Amino acid sequence: MRSTRFCVLGLMVVFLFGLVAVAEGPVTITFWHAMSSRHQPNLQKLVDDFMAEYPNVTVELSYQGGYGDLQQKINAAVVAGNPPTIAQVYENWVTPIVDILYPVGLHMTEEEKGDIIDGLVRSNTYNGVLTTVPFNKSIMVLYYRKDLVPIPPTDWQEYLDMSKELTVDSDGDGTIDQFGTGFRPAANPELFLNFLEETGGSILSEDWSKVTINNSKGLQAMEYAASLAPYSLITSEYMSNAFQANQVCMFIDTSAGYYYNNQAAEAAGCEMGVARVPMGPVNQKSMIQGTNLAVFDKNQTQAQKDAGVLLARFLLRAENTVYWAEKGGYQPVTKSAYESEEWENWVATHEYQQAMSAQMLDGFSQILHPNYGDMRYVIATAFEEVMLAEATPLEGLASAALEIEDLLE
Amino acid sequence: MIKEQILRFGRRLSCPQEWKSRSYWRETGTAYLYILPAFAILSVFVFYPFFSAFRLSTYKWTPLTSTFNGWRNYQYIFQDKYFWRALWRTFYYVGINVPITLFLALLVASLLNKKLRFLAFARTSYFLAYITPVVAVTMVWQWLYNWQYGLLNYFLGWFGVSLTNWLGDKRFALPAVIIMSIWRFVGYEAIILLAGLQGIDKMYYEAARIDGASGLQVWRKVTIPLLTPQIFFVFVISLIGSFKVFTEIFVLFNGSPGPLKSAETLVYYIMRQGFFGTQHLGRAAAASVVLFGIIFVFTLFQLQITQKRVHYQ
Repeated sequence: MRSTRFCVLGLMVVFLFGLVAVAEGPVTITFWHAMSSRHQPNLQKLVDDFMAEYPNVTVELSYQGGYGDLQQKINAAVVAGNPPTIAQVYENWVTPIVDILYPVGLHMTEEEKGDIIDGLVRSNTYNGVLTTVPFNKSIMVLYYRKDLVPIPPTDWQEYLDMSKELTVDSDGDGTIDQFGTGFRPAANPELFLNFLEETGGSILSEDWSKVTINNSKGLQAMEYAASLAPYSLITSEYMSNAFQANQVCMFIDTSAGYYYNNQAAEAAGCEMGVARVPMGPVNQKSMIQGTNLAVFDKNQTQAQKDAGVLLARFLLRAENTVYWAEKGGYQPVTKSAYESEEWENWVATHEYQQAMSAQMLDGFSQILHPNYGDMRYVIATAFEEVMLAEATPLEGLASAALEIEDLLE
Repeated sequence: MIKEQILRFGRRLSCPQEWKSRSYWRETGTAYLYILPAFAILSVFVFYPFFSAFRLSTYKWTPLTSTFNGWRNYQYIFQDKYFWRALWRTFYYVGINVPITLFLALLVASLLNKKLRFLAFARTSYFLAYITPVVAVTMVWQWLYNWQYGLLNYFLGWFGVSLTNWLGDKRFALPAVIIMSIWRFVGYEAIILLAGLQGIDKMYYEAARIDGASGLQVWRKVTIPLLTPQIFFVFVISLIGSFKVFTEIFVLFNGSPGPLKSAETLVYYIMRQGFFGTQHLGRAAAASVVLFGIIFVFTLFQLQITQKRVHYQ
């Protein structure tokens, strides 16, 4: 009897040691990303640091092209049953494939989860589980020319007044040469969504059962956008082109565009400032954009999944998210990062970061509805029609609401 | 009588004489072996995707599950106002682009067929527009069309035409694409037509001259009829290509279908449904099948009409 017990105990010890050996054995994971050449050395450095800390894990970084290419390749890989271990994903990409993801949150400590900015926890939580974790995040800010806008507008009224004042036909030929502000409504409907949030409005009700975009709050947001239209350059091009050509004085854009907008300002021979988005009737919230990290469950060994989670957790560490933000122009994604001395020093010495950093902690993200891609398109269409005076705010929102209603089915 | 009929029927049923020859089978086998690699490649990259698109058009596709939904994708696109608008714009584009390009190509080919100075340079210049990558060409045109600094508005200004917002005004967006496409394809079509012109036997022209035909009469009664095989070829490929216009629009309007979607053609609609953030591959496939049907019908129609009018020497 005693010998049997020893045998069982012995076997268990061998089994456990075996497991540890598997976990610590060499493991290779693939990381699909869409980070262009400017960001790749920074990402490589972070991954190198990770591999130095976990020498048994090899991370193969694999650039997949732009975000559109990355989405298509992820979908193709999922269909083929061969997704990568870890990949960058937008919120609405995740919704249709959430069942084959390995929820990162289930393998994180409560302390780690609580450290992620609240708004980002919400946008990474599917069916009540923190499934993905935030990675490269940017936020809407107001860019302005310091020579023309000595003090940036702080609220909607000031933004409208200044836009009006700065819109001029300098040569008197009947064509406006300088616009107060500018919009890319078809490409960037997030500007309207930002206004909508600032009125306390939303696309859908909390439980996604009703369309609310056309209620009084939605109308207030769209009417405000329409009031800016006469003083706005409406274009499909990146606003940095117009900025460089001295055609716009200020515009709202993502913080990820800082590098390009600043280059444009320098080329135009002026200094660029960055401020918070102007305060709306209810709040001054700003939209957070950018991707998260997903670990795939399908076609991965347990060791690969564990290594993927380890990498995601590693990238969330304060020092790493701060490094990524400092080098790449993104924003840190954890509370401890914002409290760190390193980040405080960085913000103190980089004026433009103050507005970006200040907005992150109460920023908001896109909704996780599976048809968000279609809804975004519908909103972009209505927003463009209103900004080009093809529809009144009421008409634009009414037609958008009807189309979004169909998407709820 | 009956016996003879049975024998005749039997002879008809029996295999052809050449089938009994070994060399026939050897030659046939060799021929099939030669086409096998091309057939295999075409099967994987053309035939399979082609039939797969038909199948996909009857499915609701998601990365994890694809469910058969019959004609619902077709129902959706036929009820979608953007589909009909895209279809109308495609016909508008084809209807204007194809005949104008062909007419200008004919004129250019006739000019290039004359004994002019710097003829080789002129031919190369016309062809350059076609061989330059479409993205590069389109980006140059983006600057030409710039409403404040573009050359086009600058030249139009000489004639008192006020600034035209080519790429920012819904009225001019599709015409801007058409102008650029005409410029791009005139040279290519002209070179094909030029080859046809140079292949026409001189004796027809001599005979016409002896009969006292004027230059225009020779062009109408001799050149055009004898050039119909090339005109037909150019017409067909130009029509098919025009129905599939996409890249020019995508680049010209920075990844958008122009202001208020005024340049959204059918292929752009397909791309938007399938790939630009919405991933409705079933709907995209259904629209692709419709586009295929349209091109197929037009090509058949052209074959019917033009076969009667194409003259081969």
